Amino acid sequence: MTRRSLQSIARAAVVPDGGTSVALDDIAGAAAITGIGETAVSGPSGREPRQMALEAIAAAIADAGLQPADIDGLMVSGHIADQVTADDFRRHFGTRRPLWFSTDGGAMIWAGTCGHTAATAMLAGKATHIVNVFAVDWASRRAAGTGTPGDWHAGEALKAHLEVPMGWYPQPVYFATFARRYMHEYGLTEEQLATIPLTFRRHANGHPGAVMGGRKLTLEDYLNRPPLAGPLRREDCCLISDGAAAWVMSPTERARDMPQVPAIIDGVGHGRIAGAPYISQQRDMTATPQVFAAPWAYAMANTSPSEIDVIAVYDCFSSTALMQIEDLGFCRKGDGGSFIQDNRLHHTRPRQEGGIPCNTHGGLLSHSYLLGASHVVELVKQLRGSAANPVTDARRAVYAGFTADESSTLILRRGR
Amino acid sequence: MMNTPQLDHPLTGPFWKAAARQELQVTWCGACNHAVWYPRANCPDCGDPLHWRALSGEGLLASWCEVAAGLNPNFPTAYTCALVSPVEAPHIRIVMQLANSPAEKALSCDMPGRVRFIPLQQAAGEPYLAPAFEPYHDDDTACDKQLAPG
Repeated sequence: MTRRSLQSIARAAVVPDGGTSVALDDIAGAAAITGIGETAVSGPSGREPRQMALEAIAAAIADAGLQPADIDGLMVSGHIADQVTADDFRRHFGTRRPLWFSTDGGAMIWAGTCGHTAATAMLAGKATHIVNVFAVDWASRRAAGTGTPGDWHAGEALKAHLEVPMGWYPQPVYFATFARRYMHEYGLTEEQLATIPLTFRRHANGHPGAVMGGRKLTLEDYLNRPPLAGPLRREDCCLISDGAAAWVMSPTERARDMPQVPAIIDGVGHGRIAGAPYISQQRDMTATPQVFAAPWAYAMANTSPSEIDVIAVYDCFSSTALMQIEDLGFCRKGDGGSFIQDNRLHHTRPRQEGGIPCNTHGGLLSHSYLLGASHVVELVKQLRGSAANPVTDARRAVYAGFTADESSTLILRRGR
Repeated sequence: MMNTPQLDHPLTGPFWKAAARQELQVTWCGACNHAVWYPRANCPDCGDPLHWRALSGEGLLASWCEVAAGLNPNFPTAYTCALVSPVEAPHIRIVMQLANSPAEKALSCDMPGRVRFIPLQQAAGEPYLAPAFEPYHDDDTACDKQLAPG
């Protein structure tokens, strides 16, 4: 297969000022997601992250029609929670073979970029079947008082010295400040913003196992809730959860002989703001670093937003989801509030009817806070046609990953 | 997690020492003649060493957030946090709190105002003087009046 040069992708991937796109080599079509696995997701459960990770890995390997001994690569988060090691894998599954191992996996932006890292490893002959896994026990940790998602931010020196003493902390405060600015610049109303949590909740209501699956949410309920970090309410903020998800990535030519419909990795993007990680200083408070990531992924995949059937965006906050829908190119900056009306994000309104189904499992707001790992698993189900809230004939899917100062974009294509 | 200002910190201590004498200072590149924020040793554009420079304290409210009681364990009661762009450096934003209750007067993005210094105290730790943004309002007649801390 002829691969495009970095220069030709860079020419096609026009990014705005205020950040940069990481120059990722062309890996379009080289690898595919061939197996997916998940544990139950929940509030505080006392489950250990490594045990949850191994459970999700076992499910993903079985789903791919493989044996643990077929796996020769493992990707985990190098940043978050207590993840499994290669030794944990071998001990648990009773295997002996060496594992190509990377800590550039997991969730958030890495749920997107791991597809590129894994494909690169396969093309270099370092591994064949690579598992990416992410486990988190932040619900249990928060309940036990042993950790919160804000710990990294409070531990970074300049944020600790210049933000925390002023009270600009934790994350809901950051993103509420940006949402307020967005409302000022583009006239977004609370009723329009409510469409995000309401739609994602309806998706969770139809998705077995979603943490908020049994809880309905109406616009009246939403508007009656007090601000948590004004203008955001609790319903605009992600859950805190325990759980794990994993997927197997394989060379595309192998995937053709494997049992599941492959989700081919067609494009990956990775962008960051200038001056990262200090989001208080980002040039445009009303956009996400997705504006620096998505153009590269579309260029690599030789596709465009008009050809995408379903998306899963990192929805740590409703306003962040709204901005990423814009920043992926589905509508103009500032038009998002009106664009998402009329069921446009609901799984029953496909592209040919003007929709762009989004977070069809319920997202971080209503499915679980697996930091995006469940988002990728859900997109694979959509491409296979096995999602609980199906999108009719979904052929291309996009995941938008996020860490506040960085974003990633993963474009998947149905392989059969 | 509690983080009170560290006056002896090489990068951020000067900001808090200045605040203690009710002065707003940021790091500045003399060669480029612009502010660089957050503080660092050298200018990212030209590489020259940065120095601390006092600002007038006037600026615009870039945005704000009303924080409900209980969200931030360091500041258990409700307060309002702001991002402020100084008139001398409109491209940077300084994180601070609002000096007075927003319930009294409506806030809007880009409204002008000035910094005064108020004592902040976290759930644990000693009080410290910190910059806080006080919007100018149409009915303000003495917005440049010297206000005592607290």
